Amino acid sequence: MSAQKFDGMAIVRKAVAALRAAGADQATASFGCGVQNEMNIDAGKLSLYRSTVNVSLSLTALTETRKGSVSLNKYDDQSIEAAAAEAVSMARSSQPDPANDISPARPLESFEDGQLEPDSDKMYERLQEFIAYCQERYPITHLEQCVLDFSRGESFFANSNGAEFEQRGGLYNFSAMFTSKDGGNASSFNYSGAVQKNLDQPLKDWGSIDLLMRQSTEQTVTQPVQGNFSGDLLIAPDCLGDFLGMLDGVYTSDYPIITGTSPWAAKLGQAVTSPQLTVRSLPNSPELAANSPYTGDGFRTEDCLLIEKGVLRNFSIGLYAANKSGRPRCPSGGGGLMVDPGELGWQDMVKSIERGLLLMRFSGGSPSDSGDFSGVAKNSYLIEQGKIVRPIGETMIAGNLAKLFSDVKAISRERVNYGSAILPWLQAGPADISGK
Amino acid sequence: MQYANIERHKALFSEYTELRVQENRSVAVGILNGDIVRNARNAQGGMSARVFKNGLWGFASTPESDDEAIRQAIRLATDNARFLGSKAGQPTGALPARPGIGQNSLATTKPRLEQKAYIDFLRDVDAYAAAKYPYLKARTLMLSGLDMEKTVLTADGGDAWSLIARSLVYASFTMEENGEPVDLYEVIGGPGQFEDIFDQPSALYPKIDLLADRLRQKAKGVYAKPGEHEVVLDSDLAGILAHEAIGHTVEADLVLGGSVAADYMNQAVASPLVTMVDFANTAYGKLCPVPLWIDDEGTAAKDAVLIKDGVLKSYMHNKESARHFSADPTGNARAYGFYDEPLIRMRNTAILPGSSKLADMIASVDKGYYFLTSSNGQADSTSEFMFGVVMGYEINNGKLGAAVRDCTISGIAFNMLKTVTMVSDDMSWTGAGMCGKKQSIPVGMGGPAIKCRINVGGRA
Repeated sequence: MSAQKFDGMAIVRKAVAALRAAGADQATASFGCGVQNEMNIDAGKLSLYRSTVNVSLSLTALTETRKGSVSLNKYDDQSIEAAAAEAVSMARSSQPDPANDISPARPLESFEDGQLEPDSDKMYERLQEFIAYCQERYPITHLEQCVLDFSRGESFFANSNGAEFEQRGGLYNFSAMFTSKDGGNASSFNYSGAVQKNLDQPLKDWGSIDLLMRQSTEQTVTQPVQGNFSGDLLIAPDCLGDFLGMLDGVYTSDYPIITGTSPWAAKLGQAVTSPQLTVRSLPNSPELAANSPYTGDGFRTEDCLLIEKGVLRNFSIGLYAANKSGRPRCPSGGGGLMVDPGELGWQDMVKSIERGLLLMRFSGGSPSDSGDFSGVAKNSYLIEQGKIVRPIGETMIAGNLAKLFSDVKAISRERVNYGSAILPWLQAGPADISGK
Repeated sequence: MQYANIERHKALFSEYTELRVQENRSVAVGILNGDIVRNARNAQGGMSARVFKNGLWGFASTPESDDEAIRQAIRLATDNARFLGSKAGQPTGALPARPGIGQNSLATTKPRLEQKAYIDFLRDVDAYAAAKYPYLKARTLMLSGLDMEKTVLTADGGDAWSLIARSLVYASFTMEENGEPVDLYEVIGGPGQFEDIFDQPSALYPKIDLLADRLRQKAKGVYAKPGEHEVVLDSDLAGILAHEAIGHTVEADLVLGGSVAADYMNQAVASPLVTMVDFANTAYGKLCPVPLWIDDEGTAAKDAVLIKDGVLKSYMHNKESARHFSADPTGNARAYGFYDEPLIRMRNTAILPGSSKLADMIASVDKGYYFLTSSNGQADSTSEFMFGVVMGYEINNGKLGAAVRDCTISGIAFNMLKTVTMVSDDMSWTGAGMCGKKQSIPVGMGGPAIKCRINVGGRA
């Protein structure tokens, strides 16, 4: 059950050879094996120690630009040959599409980072320390579920053009979900998490967990805002990640670019948001614990700008979408998001808001293809006359994503490092805010 | 393929132990504007062992399922339970048991089709849509099939094999109105393998026509007005209401974690018109969308009556929560992959039909909305919920008016359900949902139409 016995490069090379032997004109194979050790807190108590091993082998065949893919979690010779034959058969059942292609040749590159083995005793100690801290500092807060895991992953890629990559690494991941109860009153649950290379920091200090837990204790009694109004949103880092994800989904990802439904499809190099906003995609950044040295379609990632002072510099599309749309492929693969900081402290940003919300979590419907969004402001606060007035409940917000990011008014100098992204507080608006 | 003679491994159990051998097999075909963008098959198989010791669990899994791998996994799961138990365990009594023994399969008896047949089926539907609705800016058609095959053995006598299958076709269209994209989707399908669920592609044409017609209405639609409104929620929304807004708050693990439902047992939480059940496998004599006969803890599954005539009556349980609450395990423990531990999950959660007619319900609303189709939803331990609504209509003076653009509805479920004044006499199910609670897993949701008051997030 040890992942160390895998010679992953030999497996992906074997799979590519099997695909070619079965009749593929072009072939791609990727192989991953992961060993995960996980400790769980449920309802405030340690509950589970989980150890898992899994492997995944994916084979993709192109025959006359027709594509078929098979994935499985076996890697013996017989399974590889059978999967290769099936992938080729599936490709032959498909339709030609000249946009199907594979990445160009690139000599094998190897990447290794993080620890190889978990420190189970330290994991246990950090969790117990976290439970004790919460009980002492936030006695009315219930830890619904917390998961601390160490995942060691090895991944390998090869294609028939000769592009090859291998990556090995081990990371700790912690997520905490909690709610507070005071008598018969309960807060909304909130959650956060982060990825780190080691357990040097207490878990409460990962990401924004401590801030959100402190806020949770303030949120057992809430009221809706009165009536409907237009106001600014001061979007917290956890929530900003969700908004950037929605922005990508509607404006810059594969689907809206291929179909041309993205309102930004023809705006590369043009201003699309406020000039205050710069969004970088830095999958190789040493500031991030989780790096992505190569993309799923077989390119070495290059750090890049997505939005530079409001100007759209890159979509987040892969090779197929780039070929299909005639737009440039994203050199970074789109991961490792970083938003450049501003100059103000986030609490100073509150002072400029006449009436609006400190938006800590957004529970919303999927945005429409036009970028319209609406949803509930969760774990959030009413701001009036430059002050945080009180926690709110049953309050909804609505707007348009492009409009909101065009109306950025300030970005904080503080940022939260989640290990996979680094995000600030962002003030934008107005948005429609409605209560009762 | 069924795993044979699993009971021979029982000799390896030294504590309370569950052994599961599982394979998930999926097929996916996707067409975007006529191009095949997805043509894939996936199989993920392996085994897991879970061990209970002094109130704590150890778990281990491996993609291999030969005898040696099983022996090692049981030993590792036992070691993990003992590791935690040595540090934080407390002696506990035995877990309650209602062991299920049996075999249940939704496998087709027809010959399985090749991938080409799936592709041709979907291309036919896409060609129909492309020819009839040339103004569509984007057409997405996705076919997905998922087979979950499990063999479960537990120390207290559970012994089960099952193959639960689900087959779906997802259609999404986008058109432009005044240069702005407007989109709408529909999901068709249910429990079973493709060969038993779908026949001729032409059988889907009426659904495609309805989708295109509603999209055209929506493109001309208006934005909903924000604030609290009187609304009629159609069955799709009543189903997600049952699942998200109520269901999650009465999962016993979330009750222990702080759900507001902990304080409401045997209290009125809804109008007396509301009764809600999490069905195990069969409702009103028909198979539910995600049927379960024996859960992944080896418990014989039974229906959980959650709300009866407006009063909260029970939670959904696994063995551990059943022991805590001195209740019977309901068979709600389910795991998605072989590498996942069973969690308390809903199966087929529904509000039961009442006695009103939908037409009368709409006619009784002076000014409000009739909401039909949801996109996604999320709920809270407070029972505050949110659903995205992608199709609906204004109601003015008891008559349907303009379609409405995408909006979000929300409320506090245990308050909102008290505003229910009418429940329709019919119901429908959807089996297309995937519920995310640490693991993502298929769920069924159902209900009648209900009339209530709800918050609408729209444009002022």
